[in-house]
Amino acid sequence: MEIKLTVNNEKRKVNVKPHTRLIDLLREDLGLTGTKEGCGKGECGACTVLMDNKVVTSCLVLAVQADGSEILTIEGLETKDKLHPIQQAFIDTGAVQCGYCIPGMIISSKKLIDQNLNPSDDQIKRALSGNICRCTGYVKIVDAVKQAAHEIKSGVK
Amino acid sequence: MTKKYVGQNISKVDAKAKVTGKADYPQDLKFDNYLNVKIKRAPYPHAILKSIDLKQAKKVDGVVDIITGQDYPDLNKFGLIIKDQPVLIGIGEKMRFLGDALAIVIAESEEAAFKARDKISLEIEKLKVISDPFNAIKKDAPAIHDDIELCTDYISQDIGKQNILVDHYLKKGDINKGFKEADLIVENTYQTQHIDQLPLQNEAGYAVYDQYTEILKIWAASQWLHDTQADVAQALNLNKDKVRIIQTAIGGAFGKKEDISVHLHLALAAMHTKRPVKLVYTREESMISQSKRHPLTIKAKTGVTEDGYLTAWQVEVFGDTGAYASSGPAVVHKGMYHCTGPYNVANVKGVSYAIYTNNTYGGAMRGFGTTQMAFAYESQIDIIADKLGMDPAQFRYQNAYDTNSTTPNGQRLSKSVNTKRTIEEAVKLSNWKGESEK
Amino acid sequence: MKKQSKDVKNRPTSSGRDSKEYFRPKSKKELKEILKNNDILTIIAGGTDLLVSNYQKLYKIDKWLDLDLIDEFKEVKIFDDKIEIGSMVTHDRLVRLEKIKELFPILHSAALDLGSPQIRSRGTIGGNIVTSSPAGDLLPPLLVYDAEVVIISDQEERKVDLNTFFTGPKKNVLKEGEILEKIVIPLKKDKSRGVWKKVGKRKALVISSISLALNIVFDKDNIIKKAKMAIGSAAPVPLRIKSAEEILIGQSLDSIDYIKVAKAAAKQISPIDDIRGTAEYRISVAKNITKSALKEVTK
Ligand SMILES: Cc1cc2nc3c(=O)[nH]c(=O)nc-3n(C[C@H](O)[C@H](O)[C@H](O)COP(=O)(O)OP(=O)(O)OC[C@H]3O[C@@H](n4cnc5c(N)ncnc54)[C@H](O)[C@@H]3O)c2cc1C
Repeated sequence: MEIKLTVNNEKRKVNVKPHTRLIDLLREDLGLTGTKEGCGKGECGACTVLMDNKVVTSCLVLAVQADGSEILTIEGLETKDKLHPIQQAFIDTGAVQCGYCIPGMIISSKKLIDQNLNPSDDQIKRALSGNICRCTGYVKIVDAVKQAAHEIKSGVK
Repeated sequence: MTKKYVGQNISKVDAKAKVTGKADYPQDLKFDNYLNVKIKRAPYPHAILKSIDLKQAKKVDGVVDIITGQDYPDLNKFGLIIKDQPVLIGIGEKMRFLGDALAIVIAESEEAAFKARDKISLEIEKLKVISDPFNAIKKDAPAIHDDIELCTDYISQDIGKQNILVDHYLKKGDINKGFKEADLIVENTYQTQHIDQLPLQNEAGYAVYDQYTEILKIWAASQWLHDTQADVAQALNLNKDKVRIIQTAIGGAFGKKEDISVHLHLALAAMHTKRPVKLVYTREESMISQSKRHPLTIKAKTGVTEDGYLTAWQVEVFGDTGAYASSGPAVVHKGMYHCTGPYNVANVKGVSYAIYTNNTYGGAMRGFGTTQMAFAYESQIDIIADKLGMDPAQFRYQNAYDTNSTTPNGQRLSKSVNTKRTIEEAVKLSNWKGESEK
Repeated sequence: MKKQSKDVKNRPTSSGRDSKEYFRPKSKKELKEILKNNDILTIIAGGTDLLVSNYQKLYKIDKWLDLDLIDEFKEVKIFDDKIEIGSMVTHDRLVRLEKIKELFPILHSAALDLGSPQIRSRGTIGGNIVTSSPAGDLLPPLLVYDAEVVIISDQEERKVDLNTFFTGPKKNVLKEGEILEKIVIPLKKDKSRGVWKKVGKRKALVISSISLALNIVFDKDNIIKKAKMAIGSAAPVPLRIKSAEEILIGQSLDSIDYIKVAKAAAKQISPIDDIRGTAEYRISVAKNITKSALKEVTK
């Protein structure tokens, strides 16, 4: 089946099988391996991407169901050699350990910061409640989101 | 001299690659013309493999080949400390837990590989499954392995030793004297459970075999690069210098990636097909076939004076090490050495057993046996404090290690002994005002 | 051996057969047409249950029926005496709908606690009902609000009281070829007060070990006029606790015998031991959450 979608601002036309999952389309067909699979069942959040500006676990979405949609993956955040402020904040605060959860964490953080430039600890925890970090680095991840929100806010002014 | 690193915030060298999604974990690599591998695992935790029928499986469109033990009869067993784990279970051989591999399916696509895997039919003879270590040490329990040689002569005559992988003993001071000095003796049994380390990245890898140089390269995570290299070489009868283990980014390990996982099966598949091969575990597969934190049963008997000084501590530790040794001998042993926690006890006696069962094998996990033991000794301390009517913080404090304390295995602690300060800080930070004001 | 560049390339499609068909109707009319011409179809809404239960087996599904493009099923309509929620309304949308928060606060709270942001983006109210898990979080609230469901097939349409919809764990009265179109909840004049309680091992991303929805209507003298209570994860189906409701009706705020109500609740459920808790644990928690829910609602 042929579907059309926009991935990281680029228009794509791809062939998929009915049972191809969005994560497989992204990783295998489009080579966007920044999106990770940790459980395949929506529990860990490593495969989180934005689909029409909603956070989704791409392991639980059929590629066909993404027909016509706009997808943002971790690869779509950087602009011409400049990291997105959220990415920079994750580096600066030491929020990255093994790194496997980080793409999903950053996508969920982006969704939050897009709507709220002053997130409280609780709001951050809620927004990231679908993303698991097993290195147990949550404190620094929360710090990173706060720093990023602060920086974006200062820039927006 | 200015400090370049110490006391400075240094960003991780690979942080940028990781926040941009560019860091390659094994499952992110892609080689030209690669094949997918899936493993057919044991359908029953304790059984003899009678026959394997691959006919239907081989008919699946896209299947390249399926390797079984019959194809490689000369493989050697592997393992971190003791080589007791087979690469493939052959006909007439025994599967000992649900993670044992029976066949390696190689196909053009992942989908074809698992379709074929599910079409392999097996004939097995079920054996009695031993899932409780206390059943494993009954005199009449069937032996899970036939060739255990590590058990010592010291072992108690009351228990069957056919499933005891190793026994260890600990002695400090005079335990009888210690109990004589005690005004109160408290005995309890503590039980901990299996825990999966659950690194977010499942085990995965690639292997490539160059038939001209005979060099085998494996891209897969390992916490012991050189041990993995040596173990792969000895299991497959290769020269070590022909085996290259290439470390990629690792998505967490926490002990789970100390053991061999995808490496051997990938190696066989690569040598067999002469094409790059890829194997990615599912979460279930990772949980079923790789190590866990050991469940320990800890029987603790502690003597204490009425003014709250510990005089004697005796433990018996039973570790469910599962089907294979992995780090079990060391984990259960080390756990026992920590039986008194950070508390001074002059007279200590202990015995520990690592016991084979048909459960998933126990291995390394953050703390290596000491976390289980902490549950036992800290609970024991709280119970004793309660019986003595003493504040548990004070009870801990007056028994805590200090400089020149000695551990149960006789090590003198000469420097950096901060137990007392830690207790002081904990009391302060938690605003602890004693049991009565809880 | 060189690593392949990560070009855009389609995966080799050499293996497996493609599924025969994937249907994506855009309207109820098209849907009925498809239902008429096809026997066995696997229905997909948000996919958050279906893709989990068919993990690694998705290729075995022959014919798909995807409801995602039917806009009529995503509507929420408010009438004088009822509200209609389309089966394809996601948890995320339920949470955002001010009207739901105002009129059906327990449903709002349950949706807010369900899964994670990712799951709420995709999972639908219809999927939650049709999965019919005793732990389905929207089900106890829908039961206490006297919800009915509208079920359609290629030729029929029927309305079923949710109280009779569930027939066992993951079982319900839907027949092959039937689709859940919408949920209808009566709007009542009385002002009610409700509480939602969910107990699980974590705060997020957790299937309930036990859950409770309680909705109470007081008369002007603060006497309980109506009481509805439902418990999830404690019986083969989500359950209305009528014995407790009967005790509550006619009581005033300070005459409620919490222990008696809690005991009645504990008696009516029939929990099992499973990975999310033992039966014994669930009975004791059922009592405790009944008590705390009553205290909260009468505050
Ligand atoms: C990580 C995770 C966490 C979760 N947490 C929770 C939780 O906390 N609480 C909870 O209650 N649930 C939870 N769920 C389960 C699930 O998300 C919900 O039950 C959700 O509402 C299902 O809706 P869906 O649209 O995704 O259903 P789908 O998966 O699309 O469908 C589910 C079933 O219903 C059928 N179906 C769907 N819609 C219709 C229709 N209109 N007519 C006829 N048949 C239909 C499908 O054929 C399928 O059998 C969780 C799931 C995951 C993966």
